[in-house]
Amino acid sequence: MTASQINITEFIKSSERSVSTARESSVAHLGALERVRTKAVVAKGVEMTFQSGVESSLVLQGVDLEIPYGEIQLLMGPSGSGKTTFLSILAGILTPTAGTVHLLGQEITQMSKDELSKFRLKNIGFIFQGFNLFPALTAAENVEVALRMKGIKGSAAKREAQDLLYQVGLSNRVNYLPRDLSGGQKQRVAIARALAGNPRLIMADEPTASLDSHSGHTVIELLRDLAKESNRTVLIVTHDPRLIDVADRVTYLEDGILKN
Amino acid sequence: MASIARKNLLEDIPRFIVAQAGIMFAVSLVTIQVGILDGFGRSTVRLIEQSDADIWVGAKEMLHLDVTLPIPLERLIQARKVTGVKHAEALMSRQAVWLDSSDRIVPVRVWGFNPSGRLFGNGMVSKGSLETLKEPYSFITDRSNLATLNLKQVGDIGKIVPFRAKLTGLSEDTQSMASSTSLFASLENANAFGGGNNSSLNCTIDGGQVECLNPSQSFNGSKAQTAASSPRRLNLADPISYVLVEVEPGQDLAKLKQQLEAALPGTRAHTKEEIADITRAYWQQRTGVGFILGLGATVGVVVGMVVVSQILYSSVSDHIKEFGTLKAMGASDWVIYGVITEQALWMAILGYIPSMAFCFALGAWTVAAKGIVILITPATAIAVFGVTVVMCVGSALFAIQKVTHVDPAIVFKA
Ligand SMILES: Nc1ncnc2c1ncn2[C@@H]1O[C@H](COP(=O)(O)OP(=O)(O)OP(=O)(O)O)[C@@H](O)[C@H]1O
Ligand SMILES: [Mg+2]
Repeated sequence: MTASQINITEFIKSSERSVSTARESSVAHLGALERVRTKAVVAKGVEMTFQSGVESSLVLQGVDLEIPYGEIQLLMGPSGSGKTTFLSILAGILTPTAGTVHLLGQEITQMSKDELSKFRLKNIGFIFQGFNLFPALTAAENVEVALRMKGIKGSAAKREAQDLLYQVGLSNRVNYLPRDLSGGQKQRVAIARALAGNPRLIMADEPTASLDSHSGHTVIELLRDLAKESNRTVLIVTHDPRLIDVADRVTYLEDGILKN
Repeated sequence: MASIARKNLLEDIPRFIVAQAGIMFAVSLVTIQVGILDGFGRSTVRLIEQSDADIWVGAKEMLHLDVTLPIPLERLIQARKVTGVKHAEALMSRQAVWLDSSDRIVPVRVWGFNPSGRLFGNGMVSKGSLETLKEPYSFITDRSNLATLNLKQVGDIGKIVPFRAKLTGLSEDTQSMASSTSLFASLENANAFGGGNNSSLNCTIDGGQVECLNPSQSFNGSKAQTAASSPRRLNLADPISYVLVEVEPGQDLAKLKQQLEAALPGTRAHTKEEIADITRAYWQQRTGVGFILGLGATVGVVVGMVVVSQILYSSVSDHIKEFGTLKAMGASDWVIYGVITEQALWMAILGYIPSMAFCFALGAWTVAAKGIVILITPATAIAVFGVTVVMCVGSALFAIQKVTHVDPAIVFKA
């Protein structure tokens, strides 16, 4: 065998190898595309480093997560493990240092700030631990603000707000200010607000943490119903073990890494 | 429709009241300063405005209405001969000293004119009539001067040194805030009050004071005033200040002015508007009054801006989490600017309306009590509204700056 022959065989072998890698990677790519299409949420290799002064802390170290349409996903884990950070990234509120996030088939990590705002407005309803209602506005007005932002105006917004409050069981508290509502009622107003405009994704951070067990229970049932009835995808960050019963899947985040 | 801006504004009532008080302070200060400046300017030209003359002919050295050199009465006769002049009258201005019943003196300016004429004084008398000025040694003055002259009512007597003089009527809105107390009299009386009548007088020195009376003149007795007691008639050489001209209809004012200046040596002719502008500008600009009042108005705007930005900033800071929530939900920055700007606009409107009401009330009081006109013209009212809006919305920029930099991630902080 001459040197040139060896070279040729080597060449052929290596070409075959590279073709097969290309095929493998394109298959992998197609798989990824498929997943992106069939999953409501696809996060891949999400990393987050916070820089404060000279110190930098790696909070998320390459997290992957997929949530199928219509499922309730629970994200649990010890305090400081990066759950809220991850949720913020999934919602497009924080930009990860590395990794990609697809929501409803669109890569939000590629979007500009304005596109992100529009995407959130249309597709995501938020529920916060601290409710984040406008204290100067009544329950109905709080819901109306969200409806108006989504382009529903005037009497249509009024009707819709009443309707949403009815759905969360607050038709008798429509004109109450937040300070006159209990914690559980406030969170139900916030849920009604999150449902405004009928978004396909609901993201909740510790929705029951500020509630006693009874109101917590009402809110949990409400979250389950609103997911199951209208095929919404719900991501809930929580410490509350009672929520495990209503969840389709539970993921644990520890030290910036996901564990199932 | 729920307005976040309006609700946030009224949420904290004490803070709202402080904000509105600050805005009202600023708006009122600006309005009053501008109003006083306008009222002051207007008062300096009231005599010109109330006159029906189209052209004022004065000495060519005239500085403004109150400061000029005398011209001889002969100019009046000359003016009447100029073609295009329909009618002409003399106006005389003399310095004199008023001595009140308690021996206090007040510098006065005596305006002499023809009470039967038609170019000066018509419509300015609110009590008595111009006819009464034909009585010897009579005068009228602005109602607001009564206290200054230590007079109580029509018929009271004082002294335009050295003559005893009788108040026979009151005028309204005729006193310039820039000049000494104005008295109005017939040409003959004014000439006498101004010291042009001394030859025919019988003067005595009484207790160190000169007292001049014609033998038959008496205000105490009931003796009828005879022709001999009257001030003498004017002759052509007697000094006057202006020839007031009413022009024939359809005359070219500019051309007529030139003809008058040519026919009347040593004079300059001004249209009514021109002499008003010269006089107003002199007082507003050359005296620094405009600058000082402008400074006051600026201070008002600065104070207003500080108060409004402080209040808006703290209001926005209180609601920063809500604005963060709006942002997280997907509100564009413009929605949030809109909320803050709307809040600023409401503050402007709710500060402006009571301030204007206050200024009008204050103006009514100062006129009644002090004769000081705070003139709030529609133009001033509109301009002040503009300033108020700019002030409030401008102040909102600080608050907007704060919200622009809010991290929507704060929404998840419990
Ligand atoms: N803006 C930031 N700058 C610097 N460090 C941050 C920032 N936000 C979060 N961190 C850090 O990232 C880590 C994860 O925070 P995160 O809020 O995501 O935790 P968590 O799992 O939600 O905790 P908890 O259960 O208490 O809500 C923490 O150590 C926190 O100090
Ligand atoms: Mg958290």
